Amino acid sequence: MKMFVAALATVFAAICQVTIAPLFPFGAVTFDFVLLTLVLVAAFGSPQRAMLCVPIAALAYGFLSNREPGLLVLAYLPLLPLGVYLEEVPIPLNHYARTAVALVVTGVWARSLLVLGAVVAGADATVWLVVRDFLLPGIVVDLALLTVFYVPLRLLGWSGQGMALSRGGYTSL
Amino acid sequence: MIGLALLLALVGQVGVLTPVQGVFLRVTAPVEQVLTTVFRPVASTLSNAGEIGDLRDENSRLRLENEELRNQVGELQQNAADIKGLREALDLTQGDTSVKYVAADVVHRDASAFTDVVTINRGSNDGVQDGMVVVSTQGTLMGKVTKVTATNSFVRLITDTQSRVSAEVQETGADGSVKGTPNRGLAFELAQGDIQVGDTLVTAGLGGGYPRGLPIGRVSAVSGTNQDLYKKVTIEPGVRIGTAENVLVRTDFIPETLGLDD
Repeated sequence: MKMFVAALATVFAAICQVTIAPLFPFGAVTFDFVLLTLVLVAAFGSPQRAMLCVPIAALAYGFLSNREPGLLVLAYLPLLPLGVYLEEVPIPLNHYARTAVALVVTGVWARSLLVLGAVVAGADATVWLVVRDFLLPGIVVDLALLTVFYVPLRLLGWSGQGMALSRGGYTSL
Repeated sequence: MIGLALLLALVGQVGVLTPVQGVFLRVTAPVEQVLTTVFRPVASTLSNAGEIGDLRDENSRLRLENEELRNQVGELQQNAADIKGLREALDLTQGDTSVKYVAADVVHRDASAFTDVVTINRGSNDGVQDGMVVVSTQGTLMGKVTKVTATNSFVRLITDTQSRVSAEVQETGADGSVKGTPNRGLAFELAQGDIQVGDTLVTAGLGGGYPRGLPIGRVSAVSGTNQDLYKKVTIEPGVRIGTAENVLVRTDFIPETLGLDD
């Protein structure tokens, strides 16, 4: 049931991405509702659920925007290993900070990959232009959106979960 | 996951997903419509609130322009009447210039970095085909159909960085290429000759991708020195591409493609 709700939320986020996000542009950057949903599923649900939601997000957003679903899977892919790394890294980070770092790093990767796809297809871009006009404003927009959604979820009583995948083990009979 | 990405890329290239995509677009259409109906007025209000000063200036400029255009319309009507009289006198018949359009609503838009694609609610069932030209309700060029499902089509707008349109300056005939910029603007590239701010750009029809003479926009800025081979020319689109709700698909124009076997 929870997986179904997470999948439905992911599809809804993809719809929001093509209906609401373009209406509120910040310069050349728009909100990334799909990424935010995946991060929130990983942070408040479980990494397993997020892992299943990544291809669903790629297919839904790919269908709605006519983008390549394969490229979108690669764009959102770093979220899962990054979550595991942040759980194990010996730096004291609270749940919000871990979620924010996962969002920002995955956001930068996703935007860079999509820009790279456009450049390969013939767009003109310089590294400085990409950093100044897309990546830096993108970080600000992502963090603002995360805060807007994260705080009410915590106030509603949702507890943050770990992003590390549980390891298998042997038990004696 | 990487294997899945490769599999999806492969399946996407083969076109297996296209029917599924059509069904998905049909199923999600009501939700999209509700969201658009709710949020578009909010966005419009916010946008207008931030542009009141600009709108006031634009309004006074448009009033002057309107008066000038009214005068021109009067002259042109007089000229048209003269030409009609002369044609009749010469017993000339005018060729069939009927242009066929299919009206469509913009369902949603993907406007992330470097990309500007809209989805319209007309597809192959309505006679829309890949490559057809899309214009605004006033006839200004907006883009081109890149993918068609049974009930929907994807239109790559001219402000997308992958878009290229062969264009010319109406006043001087200087030709070049109109290209989308990363921040969803327009630039006129590879253009030589005297280009002034305010010049009108229309499609040149070269390459067979677009019909000749479709209005694109006006030159809003020209930078560079006389030593430059090509100046940097910025174009202001003739229509507010980002907020257009209705478009026309020109169904009488099928773009020419070069067959390598011919």
